[in-house]
Amino acid sequence: MPGTRPTDPAIATQGLTLSYGGHTALHPLTLEIPRGEVFGFLGHNGAGKTTTIRLLTTLLSPSDGTAQVAGHDVNTEAMQVRAAIGYLPENVRLYDRFTTRENLTFFARLSGVEDPAAQVDRSLRFLRITELADRRVGTFSKGMRQRVGLAQAILHDPQVLFLDEPTSGLDPMGVRALREIIDRLRDRGMTIFMNTHLLSEVARSCTSIGVLAHGRLVFHDRISALDGYDERALEELYVGVAQEDAA
Amino acid sequence: MPETFSSTAQMATIGLRDAREALRDRFVLVAITALTLAALVSLVTGAMALHGDAATYAQAKALLLKLGKDASVIAAPELYPLKLLRGTIEQIEIMGAVIALVAGYRAAAAERGRQTLALILTRPLAHWQYLAAKLAGGLGLAAVSLGVVFAATALILPLVSGVGLAADDLARLAIVWGAGILYLTGLYALGFGLSLWARSPAAGLIAAFALWLLVVLVAPQIGDTMDPDNQVAGGIYAQLSVPKAEQDRIKAGFATYETIRGGIEQASVTKHFERLTFAVLGIKDSYTGKPLGPILAEKSGDLLVLILFTLGLGGIVLLRPIDPDRLTKEN
Repeated sequence: MPGTRPTDPAIATQGLTLSYGGHTALHPLTLEIPRGEVFGFLGHNGAGKTTTIRLLTTLLSPSDGTAQVAGHDVNTEAMQVRAAIGYLPENVRLYDRFTTRENLTFFARLSGVEDPAAQVDRSLRFLRITELADRRVGTFSKGMRQRVGLAQAILHDPQVLFLDEPTSGLDPMGVRALREIIDRLRDRGMTIFMNTHLLSEVARSCTSIGVLAHGRLVFHDRISALDGYDERALEELYVGVAQEDAA
Repeated sequence: MPETFSSTAQMATIGLRDAREALRDRFVLVAITALTLAALVSLVTGAMALHGDAATYAQAKALLLKLGKDASVIAAPELYPLKLLRGTIEQIEIMGAVIALVAGYRAAAAERGRQTLALILTRPLAHWQYLAAKLAGGLGLAAVSLGVVFAATALILPLVSGVGLAADDLARLAIVWGAGILYLTGLYALGFGLSLWARSPAAGLIAAFALWLLVVLVAPQIGDTMDPDNQVAGGIYAQLSVPKAEQDRIKAGFATYETIRGGIEQASVTKHFERLTFAVLGIKDSYTGKPLGPILAEKSGDLLVLILFTLGLGGIVLLRPIDPDRLTKEN
């Protein structure tokens, strides 16, 4: 891709800030996430996680600071950023009068995919939901919808995938299926930025984490199960960081 | 691929998706059917009366000829089938407007409620292009709905009345169709815009209805009520046998009052739509049988207001940035 280098980080922010009406939703955030990483963004409800995703996906404009996603500036190269990312918001419902295939074809066309039909088939196969292809999305369970939502997010082979609470409202089987998909996407080298509050999900899938509290990044590090970062250790870390911030 | 073509293709994709969804939306189908039926009920009743007039004349003429008399002693009635569209126009003014406002609301609420708005806005597509595509979808919906109504009119009117429509009549129907598209698209933009910008789409719909009631229904009523000539059935001047020159002299004494009253009436886009369509279709007696050219020249002001209303509301929708806090249904 012109203007970007393979060595560029997938996401880099410098003092990224969002303030409005005397309230600061996101304090200056400086963060670097290398390509191929699965980044778990932890924080309490209202900490600013969704705001951060909205800034990085160009839905919001920062009041200060800069951010590059896939080597493109979110302020000045919004179109290039959008072409390089996939996004799955929390509780996405899609067009419920349309079938899975119709939904995916629509989003493939909007993303400028050259052969939408073929790409839709590939995505359906990758997510193992070919049996849902010609069924109306309105009849789906939350887990099925989430998988179709994920399919629309990866249709155009984005470099960076943003997932906002992807396991919210899913039953254990749904969580397991989604986790397995995230693992396969990671194996394909996709960078994943995932908002979550499920520590088990982070421990199982992520390669680095950030903890956000009241709009401030209070912790950021690479993690590995080999380094002792299992679910329990993460819980202790999270609670410790949160208590420190509260104090 | 050139960027402009790609953008056009993306906009067409959104517009076509909206059209396909409308065809599967029970509300849209029921609304179009109801509008068509409501418009046709008054039309069919009038057409039957017209058929009666034509039949009476034909019988009288046949009788005279049978008696060996000159049939020209009875004048052929002047039949103006398009005059029967008064009810159709009034249904479009009220029922069509309600449908357009609700359709605009549904277009915004559905995208917010399903979170698809966020999915679209993170695609390589400018926000204004998305909004333009949605407005084009509304315009298409208005064109198809009114197309159904007027096509049914053009088919049923000659069948029931027995009076054929000339090319000039069809041209008048086409002009009224175009004016109706402008009117309904403007209201669709109002419902869509307010439902997109409001904290909740339902609040936007209520605001749209409040505005519509004020400008479309209340203002013309106030204007009509303030007209002294409307205070007595048949008109106060006619009842008192006041000559035209004297009427003008009396009105001149209330120039400020008349300016205010006229201004209130001018604020109603429905009034402009009605003035234009009643004149073009010859529903208003003073325009019945008049050629189309002079009518259009006289009513160009009303047409201009309709165009400005639609372009103005459409422009505001396009230019106002989408608030990211409005990506979901509840905020």
